[in-house]
Amino acid sequence: MTGAGVARDLSLRGLSVLLLEKGDWGAGTTGASSWMIHGGPRYLEFDWDTTRLSTQDAGYIVSIARNLVYRVVFIIPVLPHDKNNIERMETAMEVYDRFQPLKKAHPHRRLTAEEALQAEPGLTRELIGAVTMEEWGVDPHRLVYANVEDAMAHGTRALNHTKVVDLVRDGGKVIGVRYRGSDGAMSEARARVVVNATGPWSPQISGLAGMTVQLRPAKGIHIVYPHRISNFSISAESVDGRDLLMVSHAGFTLLGTTDDDFYGDLDSVDVLEDEVDYLLQAFERVFPSIRDYRPVRTTTGVRPTLFKWRRYEDELSRRFEVIDHAADGVDGFVTIAGGKLSMYRLMAEQTSDAVCRKLGHQAPCTTATTPLPGNESEMEPAGELARRCGIPALAAVKLQSRHGSHAEKVLDGGRAGRLVCRCEPITEAELAYSARHEQVRTLADAFRRVALAAGPCAGAACVLRAAEVIGAELGWSASQRFDAAREFVRGAWLGRAPVLGHAGWAQEELAQGAMRGLMN
Amino acid sequence: MGRTDSLAKLAWAYGVHLARRRLTRPRSQLEDLFDTYAADGIRALQPSERERHPHLVGCINCGLCALAASRIGKTRLPDLASSYLRLYARLGDASSDVAGDEADLESAAAACPVGVPLPEVAAIVRRMTAGRVRGATRQADTPMRIKT
Repeated sequence: MTGAGVARDLSLRGLSVLLLEKGDWGAGTTGASSWMIHGGPRYLEFDWDTTRLSTQDAGYIVSIARNLVYRVVFIIPVLPHDKNNIERMETAMEVYDRFQPLKKAHPHRRLTAEEALQAEPGLTRELIGAVTMEEWGVDPHRLVYANVEDAMAHGTRALNHTKVVDLVRDGGKVIGVRYRGSDGAMSEARARVVVNATGPWSPQISGLAGMTVQLRPAKGIHIVYPHRISNFSISAESVDGRDLLMVSHAGFTLLGTTDDDFYGDLDSVDVLEDEVDYLLQAFERVFPSIRDYRPVRTTTGVRPTLFKWRRYEDELSRRFEVIDHAADGVDGFVTIAGGKLSMYRLMAEQTSDAVCRKLGHQAPCTTATTPLPGNESEMEPAGELARRCGIPALAAVKLQSRHGSHAEKVLDGGRAGRLVCRCEPITEAELAYSARHEQVRTLADAFRRVALAAGPCAGAACVLRAAEVIGAELGWSASQRFDAAREFVRGAWLGRAPVLGHAGWAQEELAQGAMRGLMN
Repeated sequence: MGRTDSLAKLAWAYGVHLARRRLTRPRSQLEDLFDTYAADGIRALQPSERERHPHLVGCINCGLCALAASRIGKTRLPDLASSYLRLYARLGDASSDVAGDEADLESAAAACPVGVPLPEVAAIVRRMTAGRVRGATRQADTPMRIKT
């Protein structure tokens, strides 16, 4: 996310930028987030500055990415024996209310136990009261791509599935990068400044320049339910006293997250069944029917938290640091480390400021006020778009949530009315557009760009047809289309296996039958 | 230092809060809550719907209901459990999808391998798309538009 933000910022300032992503846009830490731009009221206990900066930057993001954001309203139930009683909890929300106007959010409400149950009948009868809190939900994959798209519109050359394998050095100065493209070919690019915005991979990339960037990577997982489970999002306390969240997004629910020091391979992070049970145990206490719902997959990622000794993971600051390695004898090389999604724009601004200082380039940052693509004008009502283009209104709602006021342009391909995915739902035209114009090169890329297979069937009903549509755009042979579908199904299985319960296994049997051998 | 400072400010806020609670009479804020978020489509399921909810959203999108109701290739009724009930916060924007002709939901439900009660789901979706909040007591206002 931050790399895309930096590229957008620098290109808006008139600089020439090459942006390289080793996987797909948003496939790393960003995609594994809680899908929220939030201020972080828990930081009020130890770091008000992070709360202030997050809420302020969230306000900017909400203004420039209106089609991608929506209000997420939490009920925070207070149970007997919780670490915070209702008065303490409301105090925290009263303090947080001071920051809420920065991100255009409403103040909290306090509810009695009876009122909380009216608002959310799924809560436990044991609660003694509740407070509410408002945050913003966001589609992080689209947020990344919107930044990439805008950067490209302003001259950036952006390549996904392209891995930096080395830095080009001239004495004590970094003067470029060597990278391997999606076709396996090696290339080299020269630059006056190289920015290392690689999240948890920052130490590896800085190591190529002989520099040390010390992080304390922390793994987090989420359980994904393919429906909105509750009216409001809900907070719960875990067995070890941590605050967990069940976040009701537009058409799905995220339950998370864990926060554990991570020492393993950043490119192979697995979800453990213990972690799933840890989350379910906490939510069963406040939302007793949670185990009756069928999760569809899990997500996992690693936070690039700044290093600090003698702190529990939860107590680590989410601050960030812009490091100009010239101070350590390596010029032309800047690392941005730490931070969080809610502050990506600010992180990008300060990194870009550092780059501009090095280049002696004077141009102000405009990313706080320049709308992202699709937000330049008001969206028309979804029903009207649906009628004109011959698609279901629900498909129009979803299309607008991804493309904003550019939605109709996406349907210009002539296949508007045909649906590939009925869960989401996604039209063939949008899928073809994503392959043609949005750098979709695999079905997993399509999952991120247009939410392919994000629904209850997890791709069982759509993945083969999707491979046909994308394959037709990219010139895949019949066997390549089948291989692409099989690769997607296998990848999805890794995220689904830890959460398959009784009903989940039954569905898996049905899905495997429908996949016609893709799982073999 | 930052932590000490933060905790001190929270402690002060706690004292102010307790004093205010003693001096003012609490009033119900539930109405305010629903009023605030009606425009965002955040609305309540009824308690009976809530109890049945895990069953109502059990759809695995195998497509048999669409076959039974002769609705292949469309995302309208009866694709309710897989598509529409996922998203009930914004169903008001999709109201045109559930208007018009009636699908054979009884046949569709009879074909469902996981037993999703589609007529019941349809009733909820119609209630939600009609913009009715909290049962029959309140009319919802405009579709979701984010004001910035």
